[in-house]
Amino acid sequence: MKVLVLNCGSSSIKYKLFNMKSDEVLAQGGIEKIGMKGSFLKLTLPDGQKVQLEGEILEHRAGIEYILGVMLSEKYGCIKSLEEIDAVGHRVVHGGEKFNGSVLITQEMIEVMEEQSELAPLHNPPNLKGIYAVQEVMPGTPQVGVFDTAFHQTMPDYAYMYGLPYAMYEKYGIRRYGFHGTSHRYVSKRACEFLGVPYESQRIITCHIGNGGSVAAIKDGKSIDTSMGLTPVEGLIMGTRSGDVDPGVISYIMEKERMSPQGISAFLNKFSGVLGLSGISSDMREIESGVEHGDKRAILAMNTYNYRIKKYVGAYAAALGGVDILVFTGGVGENQSITRRDVCRDMEFMGIELDEKLNSEVRGIEVVLSKPTSKVKVLIIPTDEELTIANDTVMILNG
Amino acid sequence: MSKLIIEPIEKYGLNITSESKHKPLFSKIGVVGAGKEGRNIINITASSGMEVVFMEESQERINYVMEELNKMFDQKIQNWGLTHSEKKVIMNRITPTLAYEGFKGCDLVIEATRYTETGRRSTPLRKKVFKHLEEVLDPDAIIATNGSIVIISELASGLDHKNRCISLYFSTAHTDARILEIISGMYTSEEVYKKMDIFAQLINFKPHRVSESNGNVNMRLMVAMLNEACQILQERVTTMENIEETFTIVYGQRYGIFHLADIIGIERIVTLMEAMFNEFGKTQYKPNPLLWKLYRSHQLGQRTGKGFYIYDENGRRVSINKVLFN
Repeated sequence: MKVLVLNCGSSSIKYKLFNMKSDEVLAQGGIEKIGMKGSFLKLTLPDGQKVQLEGEILEHRAGIEYILGVMLSEKYGCIKSLEEIDAVGHRVVHGGEKFNGSVLITQEMIEVMEEQSELAPLHNPPNLKGIYAVQEVMPGTPQVGVFDTAFHQTMPDYAYMYGLPYAMYEKYGIRRYGFHGTSHRYVSKRACEFLGVPYESQRIITCHIGNGGSVAAIKDGKSIDTSMGLTPVEGLIMGTRSGDVDPGVISYIMEKERMSPQGISAFLNKFSGVLGLSGISSDMREIESGVEHGDKRAILAMNTYNYRIKKYVGAYAAALGGVDILVFTGGVGENQSITRRDVCRDMEFMGIELDEKLNSEVRGIEVVLSKPTSKVKVLIIPTDEELTIANDTVMILNG
Repeated sequence: MSKLIIEPIEKYGLNITSESKHKPLFSKIGVVGAGKEGRNIINITASSGMEVVFMEESQERINYVMEELNKMFDQKIQNWGLTHSEKKVIMNRITPTLAYEGFKGCDLVIEATRYTETGRRSTPLRKKVFKHLEEVLDPDAIIATNGSIVIISELASGLDHKNRCISLYFSTAHTDARILEIISGMYTSEEVYKKMDIFAQLINFKPHRVSESNGNVNMRLMVAMLNEACQILQERVTTMENIEETFTIVYGQRYGIFHLADIIGIERIVTLMEAMFNEFGKTQYKPNPLLWKLYRSHQLGQRTGKGFYIYDENGRRVSINKVLFN
C-alpha cells in the first residue's frame, strides 16, 4: 500500500510517498514559492542525490501535478501509474472543536473545514486547495485529513479557556486549541516505545521546537495542556513570533505606533521573537554563531528563548504532578544542544539530570540524554509528522 | 555527495486536462506611466502577487520610479507592514520597460499616464497609448484607464476591440482605502466587467460598480465637502483647525478635508471640478476661490510642499499655509 502525504502551505507544498508495508520513503521533496517568481520543486532521490526542477508553478494544483508528474517520470520516478497511490493524507492546521481525530475527507468534512478557516485564515485555505487539487487530479482516491489541533482536544476546559468573557467563546470559539499535535503525539508515543514503558501511564513533557515551537503536557497518553493557543503566536518565543506577551502591551503598541489589527498581527507574527530580539535572524543556527562571537543581542535572544521553554517545562511538571519523560524534538530541539542544556540546568530538584557531555555530542537521533540516575528520562526523538499522517491515513481507511 | 542537479520543470507536467495548463487570470499585468497613481497601482498589484510591467519614457524616469517604489516599501517596513524578504519578493515582480513590447502577454494593462502640472492629461496621448496597447496585446486582454473624469468611451472608440476597455479609479487618499471603482463605458462588455470584479478581489479591494459620471462617487462626495468647507472658512464661521477636527472627530475621518485635498492634489481637484461644473451646471461643483488661489499660485498640496498646509521634505505637515488668509 502506498500513501502520499501532502503538507500544503500558503506558497509551499511538502510531500512524501510511503510504502506502508516497510515504512519506506519512496519519494520526497517540496515545492517553494508557488505563484511567485523563481518557484521550484526540490526532491531528494533514494540515493540522497538532490534535484531541483525550476519553472513557473502558479498555483497549488499545478504544483501537485508536477509532484505526481515527477513521481511518474522515468528519470526520477518511482511509480508507473497514479493508481498505485492508494490514499492521500493531508496535514490540516486547524480543526477547531469539530475534529478530535483524523478523518476521511468527504464533501461534508470539506464544508466543516471551510468553516474552520476563519480560525486559521493563513493555513487552512492552502490545505483545502491541496485537497481540491487531489480531488480533481486523482478522482476517487481517498483522502484523509490529519489535524494539528486534534491531539490537544483532550485538554480539560480549565486549561483551554482564557480569562475572558465567556461570550467570546460562545460567539467566536475563542479558546486555546494548540498546534503541532501530530508531532507531540508521535514523539511522546515513540519515546515510550524507545524506553519500553507503557504510553498509557506516563507523565510526559514534549518540546517541539523549530522555527515555530510549542510544549505539551501529556498524561496517560492524552494531551492535558500545550503552550500554543487560538493561534500559533502564544507560548514560546519563536523564530519570528513573540509568544506570550502582556495583552496590555499590545494595545499600547497599537496606539503608539498607530497600528491596525492587521498591522499588529504582522508585528507579532513576523517581526518579533528571536528575529525581533536579536536583530540578526530568525534562524537559531545564526543566533548560536552570534553567541559564539559574543554578540550581546544574540546572547539575549538565546537566553530569553531558552528561559521561556524552561518556564513551560516547570509549569507542566506542576500540571502533570511530576514528570517521567522529557522529549526534545523539532529542528532546534533535535540539533541545538545549548537550548537543551539550558532548559535542563538546575532542575535536579525535580529529578532532571542531564548528561551534558553526551548532550553536546549528539544531534538528530533517538537517544536518551539523561544520566542513568536521573528520575526523569530526557530524550531526543526526531519528529516524523509525515509518517504519523501516513499511518493515520491507513488506520482511517482500514476503519 | 554529488552536486545538485538543476533542470526545467515543464516536461514533468501531467497535463491531465488542457484547462490545467491555463494561466490564472491577472498573473501578469501592465501599467503605463508611473506617476503617483501609477506607482500606487504597481505597489498594490505587485504586493498581491502579480507580475507587473510598467512603462516610462526614459531610463532616468525608470530609475526614479524604482527608487520611489523602494522608498514606499521601506516605509511599509518601518511601519511593521512588510518584512525585508517580502519586499525583495515584491520588488522582483516589478519590471520596467521603455517600449510597448514589454506588455506582451499581460492580460490587463492600466493606463495611468501622468498629469501635467496643470492637472490635465492629454486625451490624444492617451488615445495613442490605447492604440499602441492594442497592437501588442492579445485580443482578450483588458485595457483600462485610471481616473475620475469620463473618458473611457472616447479612448475606446479608436480601437478594433472596443468592448475590452474599462475605467478604474484607485483612490490615493490612504493605503487602507481599498475600494476599487469600476466604470463600464458605452462599449464595455459584461464579461470584461466581471473579470475586473475578480481583479478587485485578487488585490483585496472591494469592487464598486459605478456608472460613467464625472467624479464617480468617491470624488463627487469629496469635492462637495471640500467646497463647503472652503465656503465656511471664507465666511470666517470658524477656524481651519476646527473644521478639520469636525471631520476627524465628529465624522471619524482619518484626515481633515483640507489635509485630504492636499494629499490628492489641488490641481486634480480643480480640473475635475471644472469638468463636473461643465457637465452638471451646478454651482456646488464650481471650485471655491480658495482653491483657485492655491491652483494659480502652484501651491498644489503635499507634492509641491505647499497647499492648505506647509509640508517638510518628507511630506509631513508643518503648519497651516497662512497665505490663504491674506
